Amino acid sequence: MKPMKTCQHAGLLIAGLAMPMSAQAAGAGLPQLDISTWPSQLFWLVVLFTAGYTLMAKFVTPRIGSVLEERRAKLDEDLGKARSASEDAARIRAEYEADLDAARTAAAETAKQAAAEAAKQAEASDAKIAKKLAEKVAKAEAKLATARSEAMANLNNVAAEAAMAAVAQLANIQTTAAQAGKTADKLATQMAKQESN
Amino acid sequence: MSGSQGMHSPVAQFEIKPLIELSFGGYDLSFTNSSLFMMLAIGVSAAFLISAMRRGELVPGRMQGLAEMMYEFVAEMVRSNVGHEGRPYFPFIFTLFVFLLFGNMLGLIPYSYTFTSQIVVTFAMAAFVFVGVTLIALFKHGLHFFSFFVPAGAPKVLIPFLIVIEVISYFVRPVSLSVRLFANMLAGHTMLKVFAGLAVMISGAGGLAMAGSLLPFVALIGLTGLEVLVAALQAYVFTILTCMYLNDALHLH
Repeated sequence: MKPMKTCQHAGLLIAGLAMPMSAQAAGAGLPQLDISTWPSQLFWLVVLFTAGYTLMAKFVTPRIGSVLEERRAKLDEDLGKARSASEDAARIRAEYEADLDAARTAAAETAKQAAAEAAKQAEASDAKIAKKLAEKVAKAEAKLATARSEAMANLNNVAAEAAMAAVAQLANIQTTAAQAGKTADKLATQMAKQESN
Repeated sequence: MSGSQGMHSPVAQFEIKPLIELSFGGYDLSFTNSSLFMMLAIGVSAAFLISAMRRGELVPGRMQGLAEMMYEFVAEMVRSNVGHEGRPYFPFIFTLFVFLLFGNMLGLIPYSYTFTSQIVVTFAMAAFVFVGVTLIALFKHGLHFFSFFVPAGAPKVLIPFLIVIEVISYFVRPVSLSVRLFANMLAGHTMLKVFAGLAVMISGAGGLAMAGSLLPFVALIGLTGLEVLVAALQAYVFTILTCMYLNDALHLH
């Protein structure tokens, strides 16, 4: 590609060089080749291009650049605002949903607690009643036991008296009530032991 | 200044006519018709760009839109061809483009003058660009700049030959850059003048020949459209080649 370009350039160079020559050969030729006009053209080109460059560099390009920059900034700002607003909306929504979730779980928790509390109270009152009943039963049993043991004790005395009387009648042996009682007690305990065995 | 060819010569339009005589140190520095249109190119473009941007509205109107479009066009050209390092040179490239565009366009107005049809003007601009980018390259890369003339990955035997070609191709740049613009303007305006002269000449014969003059006249209208395209295109080509040379200078290969 490079050599081709070079050929093109070389062709233009030849054309560029040949043109003035042929024009000079032709005599009058192109006004462009009248060297006497060149100093003026070059002078004014330098002066006016410099002036133009100064105008463009100092006033025109900074002005257009700043307007474009301002517009870009404004667009960016507006886009940023829109983006932040949509982010805010999303955040508020998320917050709302989180609140809703929290409320829901709190309600569920409260319900669970209330159920647990109720169950506990019911249990406690059950236990109290059971305890009261057990106490009553125990008291009754104790009473029963004392009554029974009293009865048993009385039975022993009765048995001893009966045995004493029988002994006195049959064998004419006088025993004291205390002795008789002791013997009866001994027998009763033995019997009780045997019973329990 | 040879006006001896007369009014009907197609190249008479390129004659330089002094408007204000001026000389300095033996040189003729007269303010001429060419200088006037250079001044108009600068004046009209600057006046247009400044007045269009005066209000600097957020939502641009037509004129502001046009001014911004020109700015963005050149900015994009510099951005894509030179990159970020081209930013400091943007005002120069922009001035170059605007100067050439307005010069070429104003030159298409009948009785105006096309200063870009002057080889001395186009060559001076091309030479300035050439010297400028060469100096930028030398300042930026020092002696490493000369590696620019050694094509990468070429066979060793060919390297001396290729260096010669590269050096020639480098030094031909200002010539091709200036001749391209000059030749396009010269040829275009000469052709317009030839067709216009033809139309006038044929119609001057009177009678039925008047109808015959319509042919070159219609062709002239088409050619004028073509020249508008060429005027814009050549301004663009000159500017984009300047960008490419600047890119070569800043980044070598």
